[in-house]
Amino acid sequence: MKTESTRNGPVTGGPLDSRTVIGFYHVDLAYDDQKAVDNVSFTVANGEFMCLTGPSGAGKSSILRLIAMDAFPTKGEVMVRGMLSSKMSRRKVPMLRREIGFVFQDFRLLEDRSVEDNISFVQLVVGVPHAMILKNNMRVLTQVGLYDKRHRLPRQLSGGEQQRVAIARAMVNSPKILLADEPTGNLDPVNAQEIIDLLFRINDAGTSVLFSTHDHGIVKTFGQRVIVINNGRIESDEKRRVPVDRKANLADKMYIAAARKDRLNV
Amino acid sequence: MFKKAQVAYLIRESFAGFHRRKLTTGVTILIMGSALLVLAILTLATLNMGNMLEKARAGIDMRVFLHEGLQNEQMAELQPRLMVIPGVQSVTWISPETALAQFKESLGEDAEILGLLDSNPLPASYHLILTPDARHLKAVEAIHAEIAVWAEVSEILFNQGWIDALETWNFRFQMASLAVGLIVFLAAVFVISNTVKLTMAASARVIQIQKLVGATNTFIRIPYLCEGMIQGMLAGILAMGLLGLAGWFLDDRLGGVIFFSPQQIFGFILFCIVLGLTGSFSAMRKYLTMQSEM
Repeated sequence: MKTESTRNGPVTGGPLDSRTVIGFYHVDLAYDDQKAVDNVSFTVANGEFMCLTGPSGAGKSSILRLIAMDAFPTKGEVMVRGMLSSKMSRRKVPMLRREIGFVFQDFRLLEDRSVEDNISFVQLVVGVPHAMILKNNMRVLTQVGLYDKRHRLPRQLSGGEQQRVAIARAMVNSPKILLADEPTGNLDPVNAQEIIDLLFRINDAGTSVLFSTHDHGIVKTFGQRVIVINNGRIESDEKRRVPVDRKANLADKMYIAAARKDRLNV
Repeated sequence: MFKKAQVAYLIRESFAGFHRRKLTTGVTILIMGSALLVLAILTLATLNMGNMLEKARAGIDMRVFLHEGLQNEQMAELQPRLMVIPGVQSVTWISPETALAQFKESLGEDAEILGLLDSNPLPASYHLILTPDARHLKAVEAIHAEIAVWAEVSEILFNQGWIDALETWNFRFQMASLAVGLIVFLAAVFVISNTVKLTMAASARVIQIQKLVGATNTFIRIPYLCEGMIQGMLAGILAMGLLGLAGWFLDDRLGGVIFFSPQQIFGFILFCIVLGLTGSFSAMRKYLTMQSEM
């Protein structure tokens, strides 16, 4: 990977580097003169798993908003899947969002709809045909291990299960990027580990994952690229060594092989 | 353009609100229907007032009295001169004898009193019927000004006060209708707008997810616009239905009152649909500019 050093951490590639799916180039974001993001530069390569960490209010969510183009930089440039924030019209934002999956701490499921309807809903919005919706539902719900519970309402599931529904929903339209904003924040350690494993499997299948968390403990358990952010600035950006126990086990390998064979994204 | 599956979803969602929010939607239709009923009554009153005015205007005529002592030829030659005046439809000669006979008839049983007269005091006159477009004060005054200078004419009578009053009341009524109509229109837009705002607030999470997965604002908007239009249409039908029902019950007491024609009913309901659309649109403009609260 081509890397150059900057004051705020390494920058991999430029906007024209085809491997770069997300690029921040000296980005500032201010809310009422209060800087939430301050001269941040980094890139995320295609298929990379990146962890964004830092205390609450450090600017993690602002960075995710910039990626989703829910906010635009006051200075600098954000590039997502080749689309530049400076040239992005609001009309094109929905097209960009179709390339991104979102997972949140509070799951954000529709409480009055079943698990399957929650997943069907996001496909209906982008015009997936009915027959395809049924196939997709079966695929993603099997992958997250909830096909048997597809008729249940979210409140009839545990927190971990609800988050798995949210991940299935985020992945059903086969996005190229998955943004996970504190996805383990409401979960116990066992469920949190299950969600992290699921995100790794998604990443292993080729989706770039940006995992945001304030919990340093979680970050330490897996070795990936970690950006530490504080007061809107990048404090460190380093690639950690992958621990032995994080390497894909046999079951994971079989799963990934099956997924690739079926041309699945997860 | 939307795909087939999206169109089917939008149609389903346009009606889903009625099922999901029965009470809110029902109350909205009732309130809006009541406001529209006031508007419909006002429109009907304006329509009937206009009809009455047309009938009343048909009675606007002029009586041109001639000086005494004119020769028959002199009086006869006035008839073609009167006929060519713009706004005059027909001219009828009324001899003093005919005038007396008409007067006697109008007196009825009291006609005996005329026996006390030595001679007929009534002058000869011409009765002018005006064309429909000349049945207003300005035209009548123009005809009066043209005839009044003729040497043969002693007096011209027309019901100026009555025409004045008719014109004034017609104008006032139209202005009042316009003002009340405008208030009712704004009230109906306000009611619809608030209901859609409530609906959208209740659907905040749905909208948020739609935005996150890449739904366009147009796609998000359509079901709410359709819902507003359907609410407007149902409120319009309710108002028309209530008015029709009242008309049916009070038919005996409201003799001569005209009701809306099928075309007018269609136009009114179309107006209500536009009203619903306006209300929904104004509610959503503000809502959809809000960010997705990531």
